[in-house]
Amino acid sequence: MELLTALAVGALFGVAIFQMLRRNAIRSAIGLILLGAAINLFLLSTGAYQGLVAAYADAVGQRSDALPQALILTAIVISMGGISLVLALLLVLSARYGTSDLDEIDELRG
Amino acid sequence: MTYLLYAPMLIILAGVLGAAAAGAPGLNRRLTVVRLARLLALAPLSAFGWLLWAVVVLGSGPALVWRVDWLPSLGLGLGFYFDHLSALFALLVTGIGTLVVLYTGYYFKSEERPWGEWRFLTYLLLFMMAMLGLVLAGDVITLFVFWEGTSVTSFLLIAYKSKDEAARRGAFKSLFITGGGGIALLIGLLLLSYVAGSSDLITILASGDTVRESVLYPAMLGLIALGAFTKSAQTPFHIWLPDAMSAPTPASAYLHSATMVKAGVYLLARLNPALGFTDLWFWLLSLFGLATMLTGAYLGLKQNDLKALLAYSTISQLGVLVVLIGQDTEIAFKALVIGVVAHALYKSALFLVVGSVDHEAGSRDLRRLGGLARVMPFSFIVGLVAALSMAGLPPLFGFLAKETLLATITHPTVPPAVDLIFPVATVVAGAFVLAQAGMLIWDTFLGKPRDPAIHAHDPPWAMVLAPALPALLSLAVGALPEPEGLARFLADAAAEVYGGKVKVSLALWTGITVPLLLSVIAVSLGLGLFLARRRVRALQMRVDERWSFNILYAGLFSLLDRASALATRMQSGKLRAYLTVILLGVVALVAGSGGLSNWESLAVLSLPGLDFTGEVAVLRVFALLVIVAAAAATIVLRRDFSAIVALGASGLAIAVLMVLEPAPDVALVQVVVDILTVVVLLLVLTRLPREQRRRADMLIMRESDSRQGRLNLARNALVATVSGALVAFVTLIALTSRPRLSAVTPYYEGSAKALTGAKDIVGAIIVDFRALDTLIEIVVFSLAGLGVYTLLRYAAIKSGQKAERISPPITSHLPTLGIGGRETSPFVHALAYVSLPLSMVIAVVHMMYGHDQPGDGFTAGVTVSLALGFWYVVFGYHEVRRRLTWLRPAPLIGGGVLLVVISGVAAALLTGSFLGHVDFGGRLGLPLPQGFDLSTSFLFEVAICLTVLGSASYLLDTLGHPGEEVT
Repeated sequence: MELLTALAVGALFGVAIFQMLRRNAIRSAIGLILLGAAINLFLLSTGAYQGLVAAYADAVGQRSDALPQALILTAIVISMGGISLVLALLLVLSARYGTSDLDEIDELRG
Repeated sequence: MTYLLYAPMLIILAGVLGAAAAGAPGLNRRLTVVRLARLLALAPLSAFGWLLWAVVVLGSGPALVWRVDWLPSLGLGLGFYFDHLSALFALLVTGIGTLVVLYTGYYFKSEERPWGEWRFLTYLLLFMMAMLGLVLAGDVITLFVFWEGTSVTSFLLIAYKSKDEAARRGAFKSLFITGGGGIALLIGLLLLSYVAGSSDLITILASGDTVRESVLYPAMLGLIALGAFTKSAQTPFHIWLPDAMSAPTPASAYLHSATMVKAGVYLLARLNPALGFTDLWFWLLSLFGLATMLTGAYLGLKQNDLKALLAYSTISQLGVLVVLIGQDTEIAFKALVIGVVAHALYKSALFLVVGSVDHEAGSRDLRRLGGLARVMPFSFIVGLVAALSMAGLPPLFGFLAKETLLATITHPTVPPAVDLIFPVATVVAGAFVLAQAGMLIWDTFLGKPRDPAIHAHDPPWAMVLAPALPALLSLAVGALPEPEGLARFLADAAAEVYGGKVKVSLALWTGITVPLLLSVIAVSLGLGLFLARRRVRALQMRVDERWSFNILYAGLFSLLDRASALATRMQSGKLRAYLTVILLGVVALVAGSGGLSNWESLAVLSLPGLDFTGEVAVLRVFALLVIVAAAAATIVLRRDFSAIVALGASGLAIAVLMVLEPAPDVALVQVVVDILTVVVLLLVLTRLPREQRRRADMLIMRESDSRQGRLNLARNALVATVSGALVAFVTLIALTSRPRLSAVTPYYEGSAKALTGAKDIVGAIIVDFRALDTLIEIVVFSLAGLGVYTLLRYAAIKSGQKAERISPPITSHLPTLGIGGRETSPFVHALAYVSLPLSMVIAVVHMMYGHDQPGDGFTAGVTVSLALGFWYVVFGYHEVRRRLTWLRPAPLIGGGVLLVVISGVAAALLTGSFLGHVDFGGRLGLPLPQGFDLSTSFLFEVAICLTVLGSASYLLDTLGHPGEEVT
């Protein structure tokens, strides 16, 4: 199971990186979202796969690890916030430059 | 017994606050700057008085120490140390400070702006505080903090007339040089603390032998000396001091003659017991000091500006002081303390007199002034006395300083290599300084007036009194019979630097000695130079027109400019290029620094496919497959819209995986946030102009058509594969080599019910155990919403579009248009009408029972936002604004944050920890439904819901706004 998860995380990460490097701005944003998803998946899998029951105080059996879940929760919400800001920036950029092709926006220097 | 050693600083702080308060509008009418200065001069005066009393308490005993430990585990603390050396400098700082503050009032008195210069007084008093802290510091880190404080306040004072470009340049130069030295000083002091074992001054001074024998000694000494040299304007760092003369004269008189530039001298003297008495110390300080002495003396003669002349003679004297510290003999330290006091007295007096001349005559140029003795008699007398002290003539204090200096230079312990150069250099420098003093007095006050346009008269009484006091002291200490108390005080101060007893006698006449003969030679030479000054100065002008240390300074900056131009040319400006470089760099770093080293832990993993016991494992594999496949689909799908939908599918598959974990809370959040993300992405997509969207789609479709495009794709694929492989490998190692049992979670599992009354452990962690994290998280989320609003709507509103609060006319008789401009069916309307209240009910349930069941404030907030998004899509922007008038995002966010802060503070008051758990319902005995607690957790959930709702509605509101131009 660990091997499959690792491969999945790696593949998701690779897809995310590939998307981030593309010229279309929206695909770039999608890549960023996938990156966050890959990290969340990684965090989730660090909670051992031994959990048979949800993390409740009155549950019977081996509980799944509650701490990574709390961390993922926070991460999901914050990355949502980050993504919305990035999208707003993309909108402003595309209005300013009249294009959503990232290669035509080349004044990031100086 | 701890002494109130911080008291003088507190007094000055009161002065600072008073001066700053004087700038408050409305107070200005009756408070002229003269009155303000007179009032504020009380602060340094009382500090001076306090210090005198402290000296009496000190007697001849050991130093007074006061310390508060800030971080005991790191040995960091704030400490003050009061011995005779500190007392000497502190008395100089406060004494001269009083006079300067008083002088400032009259200097800046003007009819148009009677209250104008409160800011100057604030900076001046702030500087005084920093300087006091420096000389009273008992811990090298404290000393460094105040050292930098003096640099900063000096910068503010030099650049006071900020419209004057010369002032700005001078201030920058001073900050650059002294700040650079400050960095070196910090490193040196840290090394010193490391070697001595503590940053406390007492420990450092006691561990002299350890320090001197340490292998780090040369580096330590070099760095600390660099810091001291830059501050005390030693060659070649002296170039900032003449340029700093563009400060207003009171500042120059205070900082750049009497106090700040002596800080380096103080530091070297203070650390002498620890760092001194070695050959390196001797040569380093002697050579630099000597060079400085000669440079200052020589360059001072050719100046035309009176203040520049004084600046160069200050540089020369600072060189002398550094040489003296380097000698490490008993007589040297006697000369040091006498020299410090004498110089402070005559130089401050001279600067203030020059300031009066400038103030009354309007010029500082020697070529234009002359004959002012007739119209400014009192200033003339004061200036004459001070100049005689500067020239080193009896019976003034300056004469004593010169004598002891010469006695040190001719002491038998001076090594034979330099025992001729030292006296010769000192005599020559002394001659030049005498000529300068003569030039100052003669060409300003005596002779015929050179420029008929100058009309001067005597300045107000305070501007004569302020320089008169130090000048008088110079005369009194020399002429009157030997003052026992002063001599003993100076001897104690010198002894602290020397580390042994020092005899100080202030008698002027000690017999015909070699120093006296050398003095006579110096005076004659100086007189000769003075009489021939015109020819000497012309020679100087011709000789060194082209060469000066300033060339080095200018060269350094032009080098920086060229380097930055080169760096800018190497940038391509494109985001993708930078991203590629960053990613490849990070991959290389991680791989290279050992991320790939744990091969052996791979042995424990079991091959998959052979271990599918039960449907859960199969479902997990399926979920993983869907996640990766949907993500891959976003690459391949041609239209952006489809790619976004595929992204949503991937996110939902992640939620499936989370349900299988089992992690119901997280799965809930993942589902709602995923849907919200998709909605937001689609709204963004619709905001892009149609033409851009079409071209963007063409980009995707035509990517593999051109050769360049294929290369790009290949390069991206390579980077992606490499980083993906690395991440997979790292994940694998992490998953197989981590401990099977968590160390922290059992605590949460055990105490969730007991401490917080919650059964849902994840919820308890978020809302109680790590509540501060969550508080910051909701603040971040609200900032993101605010940021989106500001970026997209604020500019539009500011640029003239009407605020959207006025509701548009009621359109109930027209068909309602949805977000795409199309008519929507009544069935969908009904769904929307039902969904919003239903979502609110769900939200309330999540908030109330999130303690024991899946769901919490986040899911509540996002659920309502989803319903809201549905309304935007169905009804269109204007209808929603019209119908949902209660939905104001900013009050929601503010209310949420305020709620959690209030409940946290209440918890702090009741249990002693901010955001601790308090069960209000239980305490008050309220009858509540089963399973619901009115506690801080519940209030926090409500707060989270409100902020998330507010922020998400900012998002939807901004992005759902119809078709305006985004500026």
